[in-house]
Amino acid sequence: MATPREAVHPAPGSPPGVPPAASLRGRSSPLVRLLIALAATVAIFSALIAALGVNPVDAFNAFWDGSVGSKFSLGQTVMIASLLACTGLAAAIPFQAHLWNVGGEGQLWAGAVAAVALALELPDGLPDWLAITITVLGACLAGALWGFIPGILKATVNANEVITCLMLVFIGIALGNYAISTLFPSQSNQTESVPFERLLPNIWEGTLVTAGALLALGAVLIAIVLMTGTSLGFQIRAVGLNRNTARISGMRTGRVIVLAMVIGGAFGGLAGAIAVLGINGAVVAGFSANFGFLGIAVALVARLKPLWIVPSALLFAALRTGSSGLQAQTGISATVGEILVTVLVIMLLAVGVIRLRYAEAAQ
Amino acid sequence: MASVPAVRMTGITKAYGATVANDGVDFELIPGEIHVLLGENGAGKTTLMGILFGMVIPDAGEVRLGDEAVSFGSPQDALDRGIGMVHQHFMLVQDFTVAENVVLGSVSPFDLMFRRAAIEGTVAEAAERFDMDIDVGARIRDLPIDTQQRVEILKLLYRGARILILDEPTSSLGPAQIEALFSGLKQLRDAGHSIVMVTHKLGEVMELADRVTVLKAGRSATTVGKGEFDERSLARAMTGHDLPELPPPTGAEAGREPLLRVRDLVVHAGARLHAVHGVSFDLHPGEILGVAGVEGNGQRELLDALAGVSAIEAGNVEVGGRDMTGASPRRLREAGLSVIHEDRHGWGLVLDMSLADNLGLAEVATGAASSHGFVRRRRLKARARELLEEYDVRPANPDALALSLSGGNQQKVVLARELANEPSVLIAANPASGLDVGAADYVHRRLLDVSKEDRAVLLISHDLDELLKLSDRILVLHRGRILYQAPIREVSMDVLAMAMAGSAPSQGNGDGAAVGSEDM
Repeated sequence: MATPREAVHPAPGSPPGVPPAASLRGRSSPLVRLLIALAATVAIFSALIAALGVNPVDAFNAFWDGSVGSKFSLGQTVMIASLLACTGLAAAIPFQAHLWNVGGEGQLWAGAVAAVALALELPDGLPDWLAITITVLGACLAGALWGFIPGILKATVNANEVITCLMLVFIGIALGNYAISTLFPSQSNQTESVPFERLLPNIWEGTLVTAGALLALGAVLIAIVLMTGTSLGFQIRAVGLNRNTARISGMRTGRVIVLAMVIGGAFGGLAGAIAVLGINGAVVAGFSANFGFLGIAVALVARLKPLWIVPSALLFAALRTGSSGLQAQTGISATVGEILVTVLVIMLLAVGVIRLRYAEAAQ
Repeated sequence: MASVPAVRMTGITKAYGATVANDGVDFELIPGEIHVLLGENGAGKTTLMGILFGMVIPDAGEVRLGDEAVSFGSPQDALDRGIGMVHQHFMLVQDFTVAENVVLGSVSPFDLMFRRAAIEGTVAEAAERFDMDIDVGARIRDLPIDTQQRVEILKLLYRGARILILDEPTSSLGPAQIEALFSGLKQLRDAGHSIVMVTHKLGEVMELADRVTVLKAGRSATTVGKGEFDERSLARAMTGHDLPELPPPTGAEAGREPLLRVRDLVVHAGARLHAVHGVSFDLHPGEILGVAGVEGNGQRELLDALAGVSAIEAGNVEVGGRDMTGASPRRLREAGLSVIHEDRHGWGLVLDMSLADNLGLAEVATGAASSHGFVRRRRLKARARELLEEYDVRPANPDALALSLSGGNQQKVVLARELANEPSVLIAANPASGLDVGAADYVHRRLLDVSKEDRAVLLISHDLDELLKLSDRILVLHRGRILYQAPIREVSMDVLAMAMAGSAPSQGNGDGAAVGSEDM
């Protein structure tokens, strides 16, 4: 039998008073802790840059220019954030159902391949808006399929979704490479390019921001409505927080599990469509700089809340574009950017902005 | 009193944040007495004993042993001074033998490895000295729960404890085991040990206590000696008011179609000891059928099978005349069956959701609280307000998280949800376990109400008092079989206790040999 969780009596023997470390994690607001983590990251990163022989001030200027310092770079950050918002949702929705969808990367690739295939193969007679719509929905469907497989395996034979998701990442990437090398080969290391009129239109002059950013925003809105308003969202939360109680209350938990994975996968697929139709115009080898995996961090920093996915995705996107700027202006390898992201995630964990304990994360 | 008290605690105060668990509590233990510490949940019993055992450091107050003021920094300090505590959840290493557990911490690992025989010898000697029949070479995990408890006590005695604290020691024992425990405790008392027993069960007080201290809301309400108390006065001291008598069970009318019919039910156990081997019974309208038994004799498997959450191997289950064998909880619910699971946190509530959400779980599941796929929030909340009011849940705030409530209020939320859609069959497993007297009484009244309305309750419980108070009929599960069943007016305590201990009374259908050979 479960021991009652009593708010009144802490475990006997627990030390009186709250130690300072716990108050840092428990008491201060998430925003304060986020700022602490950012400050610590800046400090560590400055030391690293200095060790590489670059003046940290120059480095941060370059970083600023590359991420938000100009209209153009801001646009780049917005587009990367659009991808990350979608892969963030791909993680967040299943996480709310207590399903560790770590397969966002695979869902992204599956969506990208479906997008390029549809955009290239749909009959020429179709109006462009219809072709684009079908392409985007097809990409979502492909991602959904990538989510459905782990979902149905979890619901029927209780297969560990972490493992099935990771396996499907390999398959998704392999599928992408197959598309590049065999299905739609081109001169360079990418698939054939999608014809211009079937790409998502540019919506901000002087930048490369396309309607893909709007699709991402729309996805966030859909997720907010799903989780706060719908019966399915309610059931996803209930199943995530206590599958047993949800089941005995009459919820079809298996169905909820599959649907949560399918919806998460569809968001991952949408990220693939945005990458192909809104950014690259083709499936480019290695186009995803782990955007699918980064979505997990995006979701956790946002505490799985769809609305908070937006700033969280912008933060991680700025780190990405900023470190490209860093490379361009100072010659430091872009892998330093990877280190930057890693350091930040560790700091966020350290101060408790990211919490792996699910109950706390969800409420 | 002529003698110096063994323990005198005065003005003990301990606060956890804003909650004052002990507020100037006085407590006194005389050498060679059994002293019962009685109180509702949250009255501060565990905190007080935690202070005596060195687990909790008091904010204020004095603890004296004999003539000497002491302040313990850890349980080891208390053990060194001859105070030992048996916790509700035993602190035994499951894979170690009895002897190893008893000497753990008091001999070096080296001795444990190379002087095993000698150590087992001294432990066996100690067991004999205290008149305990224990195989010191047996592994803890192979021992029944009451023997494990004896090992806990032996462990303390072996270390020279003269003062024993037992925290709710009877909560998982059957009547025969309780009796054995009590006679053992009396023996220890007569040998000069002082014993504090923490409990909230009044019956045990009457049987065992030399003196009683009642804690109420963190203060010591009263201390009374033998002959100065009865169950009624103690209940009043605990709750602050009189509890009216429960109305007697109404009894089922014979000859009507059963609401729940179970035939030859077989359920396999996972890791648990005893599953269900061919159980049959009928549950009639207007009836409360009690299922008694020592914990772990198939009650949980029966519950989970009837609730539709574990697989039925053979046999069948009918609800309201319709075959529901192997039906999902959803279909069972639609057929009019509701379940109050014994594991309130694991299967009853979603602790991290609000009360409104918890009350609405079933309605959202069935679609009654949604339209076009959207949850009708306002309706959910209004309904929650009504139910919280009706069931007197505190706080009656639909937005409060379930985990912020006390156990009794949490149980009322479960009860409210499960009774709200007027089920024809209610399966309630240990519905009052862990609840204080007032909340338990409330739950019992609600169950009686259900049976009055021509609906029926299957009450699975290991609390005999509860079963005897509420049931129209009682059946006893032992090792997954029905060993005895009788209408309440024909039930005799002796036969019931024997059946729970596994000896089949003459009218039972148990087959001793078969029972023995099918252990799993």
